[in-house]
Amino acid sequence: MGKVRFLFALWAAKMSIPVMRLTGHNATNYPGQIAINICPDFLKYIGKPERIISVTGTNGKTTVNNMIVDIFEASGKKVLDNRAGSNTRTGLTTALIKGAKLSGKAKFDTAVFETDERSSLRIFPWVKPEFILVTNLFRDSIMRNGHPEFIGGLLTEYIPKESKLILNGDDLISCGIAPDNKRVYFGIDKLDTDVTECINLINDIRICPKCAGKLKYDYLRYHHIGRAHCEDCGFSSPEYDYHGFDIDKEKQTVTIADKNGSGVYDFVNDSIFNIYNMVSIVALFREMGYSHEDLVKYMRHAKVVESRYKLVEENGVKIITQLAKEKNALAISRAFDYVRELPGEKTILLMMNCLYDEQHWSENTCWMYDCDFEFLNDENVKEIVVSGPRARDYRLRLLFAGVDDSKIRVCMDELEGAREIDMHKGDTVCVFHGVDSFDITQDVRKILVERAGKL
Amino acid sequence: MKVEVLYPEVCNLYGDLMNIEYLKRSAGDIEIIDTSLKSVPYFAEHDDVSLIYMGTMTERSQELVLKALSPYKERIESLIDAGQLFLITGNALELFGEYIECEDGTKIECMGIFKTHAVRKMLERYNSLYVGKFKDIDIVGFKSQFTHSYGEFDGLFETVRGDGLNPGTKSEGILKKNFFGTYIIGPLLILNPPFTKFILELMGVKGATVAYEEAAMDVYTHRLEEFMQPTRGLTY
Repeated sequence: MGKVRFLFALWAAKMSIPVMRLTGHNATNYPGQIAINICPDFLKYIGKPERIISVTGTNGKTTVNNMIVDIFEASGKKVLDNRAGSNTRTGLTTALIKGAKLSGKAKFDTAVFETDERSSLRIFPWVKPEFILVTNLFRDSIMRNGHPEFIGGLLTEYIPKESKLILNGDDLISCGIAPDNKRVYFGIDKLDTDVTECINLINDIRICPKCAGKLKYDYLRYHHIGRAHCEDCGFSSPEYDYHGFDIDKEKQTVTIADKNGSGVYDFVNDSIFNIYNMVSIVALFREMGYSHEDLVKYMRHAKVVESRYKLVEENGVKIITQLAKEKNALAISRAFDYVRELPGEKTILLMMNCLYDEQHWSENTCWMYDCDFEFLNDENVKEIVVSGPRARDYRLRLLFAGVDDSKIRVCMDELEGAREIDMHKGDTVCVFHGVDSFDITQDVRKILVERAGKL
Repeated sequence: MKVEVLYPEVCNLYGDLMNIEYLKRSAGDIEIIDTSLKSVPYFAEHDDVSLIYMGTMTERSQELVLKALSPYKERIESLIDAGQLFLITGNALELFGEYIECEDGTKIECMGIFKTHAVRKMLERYNSLYVGKFKDIDIVGFKSQFTHSYGEFDGLFETVRGDGLNPGTKSEGILKKNFFGTYIIGPLLILNPPFTKFILELMGVKGATVAYEEAAMDVYTHRLEEFMQPTRGLTY
């Protein structure tokens, strides 16, 4: 009965795909929902590629997942992926439906799935990845994820025993997950810019995971990313199996090495976050037997998705739209830090309002007091326009960060913010937006480009 | 004035610690004393603390904090009886109850200062906006937690919209003399300038004002208005 129901679910879901496309939907989630509604243990029966790679973690998993697929494609290999859809159980199910024959057997031998860490309990009982790459574990949405210790616990409970883990050796939280699984660690060697005391508001691992003694950081990059040891019990960060070093911002290259070789890789993007992403990906492909020589070539085809970071230059004005994922204090802090480090004077438009929440209730703004708005208190930041439903909250938080009120302009409407923001030739205008505001961001960018063109 | 912050290395979730920074910026002459897990609390040996604060933490940290704090249970009880001001936010308040009941049926023994207990459900996170009253002061805030608390207690806030310590009561938080415990997380004081002034005056500040008062009141009045809209969803 189970198999018959599965086939019925599969065919119904497959039939829904052209229907959805005809009606203007992209069919990235709903077919999976249909299948699970008809056959709750659909994931148990659907054919799966022999090699499955799962990418999970708090930040960077979409970028890493997409880069992995780019690299496979550059190598001439076609893989199944969920790039176009969601990373939850229904999104993965939809991808598997698309990648299955009518018999339910898999059409692909390899799949790359971005996997929502919170959904691991609904996915990993049935989908057993050969490799699980965990980018990092940080504080995320307060409402959904609570705190990284909770997410780490979920992953430890549900990660299949047979999966090999690719872990960030500079992140003591993700290092600790599923301790019985085989694993390799990646990281980036000490940088000149590293510190020994955290300058961020969030540092989610200040005490030793073994004995609760105070951790001493040998070096710290941002938040809890770095290398630490415990003076009480001797616990320390793991040694790297794959490490990045010789980061050359002029040549835009990083050397990535392991015990069997090394390669000099062109940056995909020069943020340290994306260099971590590159090192993690090289670690994964090296584990699969690829050579550095080939990977250096393939990596040149990997891209950071444009919707996350886009630079447009118009009539001497640089317009940057930067994803700063709403309610994610850490992701927004990283985005602020990256933009403040850019050379020259800049004006800023904040519009990372959680518009979905606003439709139903009201955005929980606690994240703002975990987030380093202090990075925007910088002499090169000339004006900050705060916009959207949480404009007043942004203003209060910026005052708390020490930004002078005369630099802050409140516009309740994002488009009005784009029309009002101060703009001169030679300026950089940085727009921080969330996932919910992707559509408005297009309109905001259009207004800014038009204004720049008329200068 | 001295403010003792208990275990900030672990009790630091959701921006809770900014409450103390806000007090400092509002009242100027506040000395912050950070007490770590492996040290003796300042309050254990001194009587000159204006406020003892503890914020939200992870579940593992709750057990670490219990281990560190339980030896001072009698001292805490005598301080509460003597009218010492405590502000305890988020799941920190559970440690002052009798126990936390976990999903597998096990119980984590807590200090037992109040006749309450918490029930933890890690896969059923509770999120809510909150509106309540403290005397004649309107309170707004956010809740986000894996637990609810039950038992016998006097509430800190009388709920106007939302739930109290559990969905079956309108009494929010725990009040005994100047012991203020609440499940509201994050920047409670920043979002509630009138309540902050009340706390500052309890600490001994005469004619208290708050930092960034105009902006903070602007946020407060709009949030209160927003949360009171009948069509505004509260819990999800």
